[in-house]
Amino acid sequence: MIRIEKERIDEFIRTLMETRAVYAPALDGKNTMFAPVEDPAGIDHNIFNTDKSPKEIFFPHSEVLFEYEGEEIKKVERDVRPIVVWGLRGCDARSLRLLDKVFGSAWQKPGNDMFEDPYWKEKYDDAIIFGTACNEPRSTCFCNWFGSGPHDDAGMDVKVVDTEEAFILDPVSEKGKKFIGSLKGWAEATKKDLATIKAVREKAEGLMGEAFGMEGIAEKMADLFFKPVWDDIGAKCVNCGACAFICSTCHCFDVQDEGKKGKKGKRIRIWDTCMFPLFTKEASGHNPRDMSKDRLRQRFMHKFSYFISNYDEHLCTGCGRCVSVCPVNLDIRDVVRAVMTSEA
Amino acid sequence: MKELRETVKSLLTEGKVDLVIGWEKGTMPGASTPVFIDTAEKADSLIFDSTCRNNLSVYFTKDRRELAKDDKKIGVVVKGCDSRSLVLNITEKQIDREKVTIIGVPCNGVLDMKKVTGKVDGKEILEFTDDGERVTVKGREFEQTFPLDEVISDSCVTCVRRDAVEHDLFIGEAREPGSDENAYVEVEEFEKLDSGERWARMEQEYSACIRCYACRNVCPSCYCNVCFVDQNDPQWIGKSPEITDTMIFHIIRNLHVAGRCVECGACERACPMDIKLLLLNRKVAKEVRDRFGSVTGTGLENKPAMADFKEDENQDFIMG
Ligand code: SF4
Ligand code: SF4
Ligand code: SF4
Ligand code: SF4
Ligand code: SF4
Repeated sequence: MIRIEKERIDEFIRTLMETRAVYAPALDGKNTMFAPVEDPAGIDHNIFNTDKSPKEIFFPHSEVLFEYEGEEIKKVERDVRPIVVWGLRGCDARSLRLLDKVFGSAWQKPGNDMFEDPYWKEKYDDAIIFGTACNEPRSTCFCNWFGSGPHDDAGMDVKVVDTEEAFILDPVSEKGKKFIGSLKGWAEATKKDLATIKAVREKAEGLMGEAFGMEGIAEKMADLFFKPVWDDIGAKCVNCGACAFICSTCHCFDVQDEGKKGKKGKRIRIWDTCMFPLFTKEASGHNPRDMSKDRLRQRFMHKFSYFISNYDEHLCTGCGRCVSVCPVNLDIRDVVRAVMTSEA
Repeated sequence: MKELRETVKSLLTEGKVDLVIGWEKGTMPGASTPVFIDTAEKADSLIFDSTCRNNLSVYFTKDRRELAKDDKKIGVVVKGCDSRSLVLNITEKQIDREKVTIIGVPCNGVLDMKKVTGKVDGKEILEFTDDGERVTVKGREFEQTFPLDEVISDSCVTCVRRDAVEHDLFIGEAREPGSDENAYVEVEEFEKLDSGERWARMEQEYSACIRCYACRNVCPSCYCNVCFVDQNDPQWIGKSPEITDTMIFHIIRNLHVAGRCVECGACERACPMDIKLLLLNRKVAKEVRDRFGSVTGTGLENKPAMADFKEDENQDFIMG
């Protein structure tokens, strides 16, 4: 564990920037998000969970896959420096790991013959994730429902704890250990630091609301598929894409060509969501998820049932973003409670 | 609140309505959530205060349009702006006036939560109360009270019809509308900019858009069976959040609600990116008022400006 005094944090970030593209929380206009760091002095280390989730670092809202001109296909040049993310919260670090199960190599199950996504892998595989432990979780946080918590380090390479005086960097993964081991000129964390970490951790965990039992939710949801509980849950949803686009784990996309058909243009992939009617509309004009409640049900079935069948985990980390942005305050925690307490 | 609950209870027990759409307390401080009440017992959860930000008329449109068409008699709780949406939807023949029971509630403006958190420097609010004139927020180690007027949505600051323009019942005493002579100050400021500056201003605002369409989906005036952005054969518009396509989406939506937008601000409050959508909406509303003498959704006898033609109306935009 190394110790970086607050006064020297810019210096530390600058060393990262020498060889890597560093992303950190930033305020852009009215919203917070992860942005490439140009000047370490501009990083706001106090930004809590960003308004926009960090998934867009590795899975941009709109990503050019290749360009074409006539028959010729051109690869798109991109910044090839390995990525460092600074200031990611625990929930978001776990979100990236969940996405890596879908796009990358983190899902090695016998017989798994799924594709690996080169566009994700080229960014994520070499990335180093510095995760910041949460000393003051918010009332919308519910990471503890998933066995996690404000000081959980799963999905991080290096865990960072802010002790007011200093940032204590605790390498977690092999990659993190190797990286921290290669650094020179930084002091070791002191006994006092360790005691502070323990204290802030206990305080943070004490601020979390009570965790709701999620055991058996996948089967329960599957049993309830045709039940009227979904009419009640879905009644107020206006079926926008706010929850999905702001979500750190939602990852559906559409692929489109932009430009002159067959002549010159680019193929892009763009975020899409099961909330949009076009998402499942078939060429015949038929839409198997025709009504808004069918689409809403899909979002939660995916998170709490299908994803568990496919990847043994919930597709939600409890970051609370969807809770804050939903224009009708359809709270995902209420959805879980409604499902778990209704009769199949 | 008590009167509202009692009114709804008697409507339900007397069989005058089968369902009432209103608001109940939400899961976050300062939040309410829409609720569908079909038994008298459930009516006790109804609330009305500055947290009731949604325009509930949206539940008669889009996928829910059957609500307005089937045999059910529906009651709906409305602020001034929401009632104008109902009126618009009735004049556009989306809702049968006979089927709805309009319950007006006295509105003092609804919250802009960004303004509230701005007051406490972004600190987390854990408790919220509103006495109709002042709001009090509490968090860890702080408590602050300020006048409601300072934290209401921009749409409410300029609103001159806070009470339902059309209603069957009113909780309390409905106030007369004020004059909208000076209602468009910010639009007039915007008009003073030259076209380049106006465009830059709009680009700056809309560049944060993530194309989630929450603005469209909460809007009771946006109810096409298939929205142009949801068509792909032909595809009218690119889907990436690139500024050109984003601007096309917003400008077209703006024109599609020209003379139909009631300036309720529901779109702006729904936007997760805090984009100031009302400026363009209100610019168009002002044009409609000045050119056609029409204020949307203020009377069942008035046709929406774009669905009406008078021989003597202002046509200088056609003649040049
Ligand atoms: S959900 Fe947990 S990990 Fe995420 S910000 Fe809240 S406390 Fe931190
Ligand atoms: S579903 Fe909501 S709480 Fe869960 S990861 Fe997505 S935004 Fe966060
Ligand atoms: S749950 Fe909320 S944010 Fe998500 S689609 Fe429905 S209304 Fe929109
Ligand atoms: S466009 Fe916005 S302000 Fe106008 S009616 Fe729709 S939701 Fe209300
Ligand atoms: S709600 Fe906001 S972010 Fe979403 S499409 Fe509308 S303007 Fe864009």
